[in-house]
Amino acid sequence: MGSRVVVTRANRIKAKLQSALEATALEIDDVSYQHAGHAAVRASTAEGQTETHFNVKIVSPKFDGQSLLKRHRLVYDALADELHSGLHALSIVANTPQEAEAKAKTQNPIPNK
Amino acid sequence: MATNTINLSPIHSTSSLRLLSSRSSQNAPTLSFYSHPKPSLTFPSISLKSKNPTKPRSFTTITSAHKDLKETELIAVPPLPDEVNGKFPSDAGVYAVYDNKEELQFIGISRDIAASVTVHLKSVPELCSAVKVGVVDEPDRAALTQAWKSWMEEHIKASGKIPPGNETGNVTWVRQPPKKKPDLRLTPGRHVQLTVPLEELIDRLVKENKVVAFIKGSRSAPMCGFSQRVVGILEGEGVDYESVDVLDEEYNYGLRETLKKYSNWPTFPQIFVNGELVGGCDILTSMYEKGELAPLVKK
Repeated sequence: MGSRVVVTRANRIKAKLQSALEATALEIDDVSYQHAGHAAVRASTAEGQTETHFNVKIVSPKFDGQSLLKRHRLVYDALADELHSGLHALSIVANTPQEAEAKAKTQNPIPNK
Repeated sequence: MATNTINLSPIHSTSSLRLLSSRSSQNAPTLSFYSHPKPSLTFPSISLKSKNPTKPRSFTTITSAHKDLKETELIAVPPLPDEVNGKFPSDAGVYAVYDNKEELQFIGISRDIAASVTVHLKSVPELCSAVKVGVVDEPDRAALTQAWKSWMEEHIKASGKIPPGNETGNVTWVRQPPKKKPDLRLTPGRHVQLTVPLEELIDRLVKENKVVAFIKGSRSAPMCGFSQRVVGILEGEGVDYESVDVLDEEYNYGLRETLKKYSNWPTFPQIFVNGELVGGCDILTSMYEKGELAPLVKK
């Protein structure tokens, strides 16, 4: 992975979200293999598109004060080109930095030693 | 699959049979034997015999290790459901229901035979003329199933027929799953010229219905995991919703592209409440987990 320079869709997604949403944390998982069989995907696969489904975890200050619907729209807007070129579905977790911090605390309470 | 054939490894019967082995597996019916009353199979095991060892058995036709179907005597069903309890045991076991021509209608198992017979008598009195009962001692699920299989096997061997009530799709005797609404179709067919633009049909649909889910596949068989989860959440919440299959190329031709533009949302599923897009699977899931969904979708 390290030295190979392959522009995967995952990398493009990462770059686009980074610049458009000033993400402070960003995780992209290609989960296309989990959906490889389903009907709508077969057509894309036939066209050589195998990167169709991604999980996106993004933390951005731009989500502040926005509803979930608006946050998802911001992500979709940033990835409009990808969605027009074979990207089928995203599973999105969109948090503000404050929310991410609060979640990290409740999920991984670090004991004070 | 186990549901297609009755694969018997009989404990009680003398010969090892494989029922329906002469039929092809597609034709082999799925047999259902769990009867109506909810208490079935949730009661702790009760054995009347061991609990009251001195009490003379009032049900002379009942054997502890159930007899063959043929040897078991028919007990007439009293006309009134209230009288059933006195004539039939409230024990676990297998039972066979006969109509007034002594035709076997259904073989079932129950944790409380009297309760099951009562339910049948209330729902289909015309088919409940007499009942044969075989109480099963130490009635765990395996023992009950075994008892049921041995009676089914015996009856099929003797008559060549499956009791009508045990045939696939017969819902006279067993609890039926809740009926699912059909998926809505936006157009009369792909080759019918629309008099109203598809966009307007979508607009009307989502505004005239409280909750509409545009999903991939039908609501009874969603074809994508996200749509599946949406259906699961809506049904789990008991939401009265309409569904539209965006993959239906005959009756919803062109819907995917038009809906994406209408809602300005690039993926499916899409859930609308009161004419407004709520979001996709992630958002619905999140709302559900936060308890925000129920107040939004309630009537």
